[in-house]
Amino acid sequence: MSSRSVRLLLLLACAGAACSLPEGPEPLTFSGSALGTEGTLVRSQLARFEERHPGVRVELRVTPDAADQRHQLYVQWLNARVRHPDVLQLDVIWTAEFAAAGWIMSLDDALPDVGDFLPAALAAAQWNGGLYAAPWFVDVGLLYWRTDLLPEAPRSLPELGDAARHAVSTGAVPFGLVWQGARYEGLVTVFLEHLGAFGGRILAPDGRVTVDEPAAVRALTFMRDALGPRGFVPPSALTWQEEQVRFAFQNGDAMFMRNWPYAWTLLADSARSRVAGRYSIAPFPSAAGGEITAALGGAQLAVNAHSANPSLARDLVAFLTAPEQMLERARFVSQLPARQSLYEAPALADALPLPLDQVRAALAAARPRPVTPVYSELSEILQVHLHRALSGQETPATALRDAAAEIRMLLARSGLAAPGTAP
Amino acid sequence: MNRPAGRLDRTDARVAWLLMAPAFLVMIVVAIVPIGMTAWEALHVHDLRLPWLGRPFSGLDNFVEAAQDARFRGAVVHTLGFAIVSVAFELVLGVAFALLMHSVTRGRGPIRAMVLLPWAVPTVVAALVWRFLFESQGGLVSTTLRDAGVVAASFDWFVHPWAAWVPIVVADIWKTTPFVALLLLAGLQAIDPSLDEAARVDGAGAARRLFTITLPLLAPAVVVAAAFRMLDALRIFDLAYVLTGGGPGTATEPLSLYAFATVMQRLRFGYGAALSISVFLLTFAFALVWVRALGRSLVEKEPA
Repeated sequence: MSSRSVRLLLLLACAGAACSLPEGPEPLTFSGSALGTEGTLVRSQLARFEERHPGVRVELRVTPDAADQRHQLYVQWLNARVRHPDVLQLDVIWTAEFAAAGWIMSLDDALPDVGDFLPAALAAAQWNGGLYAAPWFVDVGLLYWRTDLLPEAPRSLPELGDAARHAVSTGAVPFGLVWQGARYEGLVTVFLEHLGAFGGRILAPDGRVTVDEPAAVRALTFMRDALGPRGFVPPSALTWQEEQVRFAFQNGDAMFMRNWPYAWTLLADSARSRVAGRYSIAPFPSAAGGEITAALGGAQLAVNAHSANPSLARDLVAFLTAPEQMLERARFVSQLPARQSLYEAPALADALPLPLDQVRAALAAARPRPVTPVYSELSEILQVHLHRALSGQETPATALRDAAAEIRMLLARSGLAAPGTAP
Repeated sequence: MNRPAGRLDRTDARVAWLLMAPAFLVMIVVAIVPIGMTAWEALHVHDLRLPWLGRPFSGLDNFVEAAQDARFRGAVVHTLGFAIVSVAFELVLGVAFALLMHSVTRGRGPIRAMVLLPWAVPTVVAALVWRFLFESQGGLVSTTLRDAGVVAASFDWFVHPWAAWVPIVVADIWKTTPFVALLLLAGLQAIDPSLDEAARVDGAGAARRLFTITLPLLAPAVVVAAAFRMLDALRIFDLAYVLTGGGPGTATEPLSLYAFATVMQRLRFGYGAALSISVFLLTFAFALVWVRALGRSLVEKEPA
């Protein structure tokens, strides 16, 4: 058969399958959140990257915003060793898992100015001494408080408790404090902040499991008592995620709320919010023996280990995590930059609606969740036991003792007895 | 041709096998092979997050771990408890509905269609609706009970380890009673009405006729309906997933949900496969026992 007739056959076959003959180089693919304004922003940044690299096409593959669903999709793709997407948006808690599994490639020496990334975000991007992702934007746990009910933010956790209890007993608000108490990842971030506030840690820096130590028991006891009959957190909070918590605060039902920066803009909308102009933020306060602690969230960018075009993919990661793009992200979608230097530049104060000094204070107290490939399971163990303790099925001490024992078993079984070191 | 019925000669047998072959093939491909592969996977250590462990054969280790796993044992208890309680309610209500539908003489068609409606609603949609109803803030069930003074103002169904079962069981009963009722209605219609009439002529009251004639003759249909429902209930996943997520803690976590979390969230394929196989074994064991113990005795008694 002549090559012409082969081509013709191919064309015919393709017409049926709605495909086209390959033309030019394969496009680079990028996968991440791209809804609404964020989508417009991502598309325009990708277009700018194309302009700077003539002949390069970047295709956007929108993946679900729900973390669990995106995680599941990525696992399916990467485990099957597909070449696309080349660049992936990862939740901060996935990087170690994907790096250890060999699904994403090392970014050592691929990025300029690594030292400029926020230390907590950088720690979450590293695995086994190497860099596997670039911090893209960060999220940090904040205390929202009502400026019409209090002259200033509480300076300690007991002070917060007293103010909240007082507000509930006088009928000023139905709830004192609202937080994310459903059995999911959000509960772990809330616990992490209470834990740090009382001086505890989930894992010690040397990798020992310390979540059953007295400080941790005090932290969980504080949370449980806050839910109790003379407490100030509504029991329903045990079924609430970020949005239910925001609704409660937005309707004026709570004096304090623990939430992420995204809530600021929504609360400011006076058409929907009853607390517009009557709230501010502060870092979540600490108790005796502890320090102010804010859970670190956010996203990082990584390169698929089986990417057909790794150097271009690395360039795209470097481009998207450059100060200019981060600043633009802050301006358009209020997401916090992951670079320290930007917090000193005046441009950020203009770009962000949130009070920058408070954000900076919270970021200074930011702590990553344990960086380990088995984080998802570690977190699930904690979620189950925390939720049992908070719903009165276990005492805080028993819950944490069992959780610690299960986490130790998990690390031993995985050959990760001291997290941070792969065999 | 005086060949006894039910016997085939060789050619016929061959044709029969040939005709059945595609069905067998499909069964093998979609049922037997996947179950076999899962069983094989269950005998290995296989964790996608930990590629350095490889995929070594580990014998029954995963099953030993399951036996020592308090969460697994809890899930078994939850699964059995849920199945028994909800199916018991469904059978009682199903019999009542079937009798009701059987005695109605006018508008049978529309009534049956109405009764069947809940069954036609996708489970996930139904579960979401029930979640709204039971939600503490503004949920219809919660507010009604609160206004009636039955529960405290701060009461939340999904926060209490026992109360959290109520929405799940209620939703299951609401959704599957129609199915049971229709199965039993078919059973009722198969009963010879002359038996009932004869009893009536002999002066038996309605209650007497129900307990000595209708219900005993309905028993085979009840056994079949119970078997269908139990097999389904032992695999419960979607209601718990949507309504409670297995919480609070793991107080309402059935086996399938635990297996799902192990495979899809923890990526522990080996252990997750062992959990899935245990769901399969539980269902299979129930089916065997049920058919042997109850099914046969009833089926054998029937012709007498």
